[in-house]
Amino acid sequence: MGASFEEKSVWVQLTCTVLALGAYFAVAGVMLWSGITALPAYVPLFIVSIVVMVILLIAGHLIAVLSGKAEGRDERDRLIEWKAESYSSWLLGVGVLTAVTAMIFGIENVWIAHLLLLTLFLSEVMAFTLRIVYYRRGV
Amino acid sequence: MPPPKVVIANQIRVLRFNHREMTQQDLAERIGVSRQTVNAIEGGKYFPSLEVAFRIAQVFGKPLDEVFQCVMSPQ
Repeated sequence: MGASFEEKSVWVQLTCTVLALGAYFAVAGVMLWSGITALPAYVPLFIVSIVVMVILLIAGHLIAVLSGKAEGRDERDRLIEWKAESYSSWLLGVGVLTAVTAMIFGIENVWIAHLLLLTLFLSEVMAFTLRIVYYRRGV
Repeated sequence: MPPPKVVIANQIRVLRFNHREMTQQDLAERIGVSRQTVNAIEGGKYFPSLEVAFRIAQVFGKPLDEVFQCVMSPQ
């Protein structure tokens, strides 16, 4: 069974997110390890990662459009998205609660910001992965 | 005692064949979903909403229970 445009789009989003933000976390991890705790030092790296991700997303979706007919979303696509989001959003909630707890204990902002970003990243990756599983195995 | 598991079977493949081998794409366009969704319904990987189920039955000119059947099986 050939993949629908929606499924291809999910593959593109998963790949671009993992590549761009994965690279960000790899470099930021090294920076944190070497003791750089000034948050502004991470801003250029973050901006570059987002720009790269947007470029990859545009290129990936162009390829997806050219490789087959782009149908609109239907009820199955909406159900799959809703179900995947409902099973993955707890990760971001855990990140927010941990960040609030870290603030209370006076942890440096750079750690809190990266904790929030990491849980957002993991939550999105989990949602995309679940959507692919539901497309392949059924929902 | 848990209720028996409900499995929803369908006759879409047979009905398509009996309607001059209607393609999945043709059926998808007539009921307003993607071809992959028709494929998933046929293969029992997705159970459609009542609205889509009635649309499918309408395309084939059959009552709903001739298109979809509820099969009870023990857990």
